[in-house]
Amino acid sequence: MNNRYFVYVLCFALLNLGSPPVAQAELVTTLQAAAATTRTQDLATVNAALAREEVRAQFEALGVEPAQIELRVAALTDAELRTLAGQMGDMPAGADALAVIGIVFLVLLILEAVGVIDVFKKFP
Amino acid sequence: MTAPGPVRAVLAIGAALAIAGCAVRGPVLAPATASAGPARVELEATPFFPQEKYQCGPAALATVLSAAGADVTADALVPEVYLPGRQGSLQPELVAATRRHDRVPYLLPPTLDALLATLDGGSPVLVLQKLGAGPVPGWHYAVLVGYDASSDQFVLRSGTERRKEMSAAHFLATWDRAERWALVALPPGTLPPAPDFARYMEAAAGLEAVGRLDAAGLAYEAAARAWPAESLPQIALANLAYARGDLAAAERGFHAAVRLNPGDAAAHNNRAEVLRALGCPTLARREIEVARALAAGGPLSATVEATALAIAAYQNGDAAGCPPD
Repeated sequence: MNNRYFVYVLCFALLNLGSPPVAQAELVTTLQAAAATTRTQDLATVNAALAREEVRAQFEALGVEPAQIELRVAALTDAELRTLAGQMGDMPAGADALAVIGIVFLVLLILEAVGVIDVFKKFP
Repeated sequence: MTAPGPVRAVLAIGAALAIAGCAVRGPVLAPATASAGPARVELEATPFFPQEKYQCGPAALATVLSAAGADVTADALVPEVYLPGRQGSLQPELVAATRRHDRVPYLLPPTLDALLATLDGGSPVLVLQKLGAGPVPGWHYAVLVGYDASSDQFVLRSGTERRKEMSAAHFLATWDRAERWALVALPPGTLPPAPDFARYMEAAAGLEAVGRLDAAGLAYEAAARAWPAESLPQIALANLAYARGDLAAAERGFHAAVRLNPGDAAAHNNRAEVLRALGCPTLARREIEVARALAAGGPLSATVEATALAIAAYQNGDAAGCPPD
């Protein structure tokens, strides 16, 4: 039972990582001010510090050189970190136009070989 | 004369695609360029980096960064933006790498007019295309370097092709399927043609957020010149002054922002905080009350309340030389 409460306390502490102390005077940052006046506010449901950790871990899992991970994470804004933390696996990863053409060609070739289509036959 | 079943199916699919693709296809570029801009543009001096396997992200990014005067190559960008596990590059990382090379990553409004105006203005445009479909989406980055209304074609640096011509309708379809994502890399201090204020400020503020302060400062100064009636560029410059400890300059900047837009909660909050730091609690209290009323219930209310608490805790009287209002 005690263990369970300990875990709750730890979770709570973790969620508060990176949140500023309540009584500290603050400037509204330019990014905040820009977002506040323009678009729907990023609701910041995911703590930026947690998102940063998550992105770091995913970079590592996806094969980024360890020496590059910090540099790449450091150039992302909080909003971008939250986006990446949630969907790095499904975001569009712009790659190779040739691969697509290759795969389409391969599919046509297989269909031809098994006799479903007959587009590569020479005219008599 | 009847074709066997499977062949008929393929023919039917082909006919359907032909109708979907061609039936409504008139010229695209001629009407768009009729009222404004030249009928033909090609940025021939744009460098070309033929892509290695899967690495169109680094290649396309090197193209637009070099065109904006940065000293980079596609090979040098691979460790910065390529994601081996995805065999490609992600959009936020191209934006981030643009910042790392001190260029403003301006995301274009999702319109054909914005593409054409940017090319007219001399900047190549990095675009995302979706060339495939279904399980083979075929995400691809390329760089628009020109168009020709008479042949209704775009010209791209794409993959291993230095000069790829693509029909405007076909290109726009692939761009549309990629949610019309288009990035321009701007040298700090220059604005895109027909700039969108909110998009430009967000791009500039991203530079500041990741610590590229000199580049951000140049971008903010350009914005302050281009949009003299907006308070946000003044706030941005004053935030930079505050960060380097120049409280007097910060106060002047926030004061200017408050005068430009008396309804700007951020301007009032930030001026209040600087006045507190300068030892002027009387005026700071007045400013923070205005900020509180403006920010109530909005996204900035937590920040404003924190500033109010700090001002309430300030014990001393006004220092010498506080502004009169």
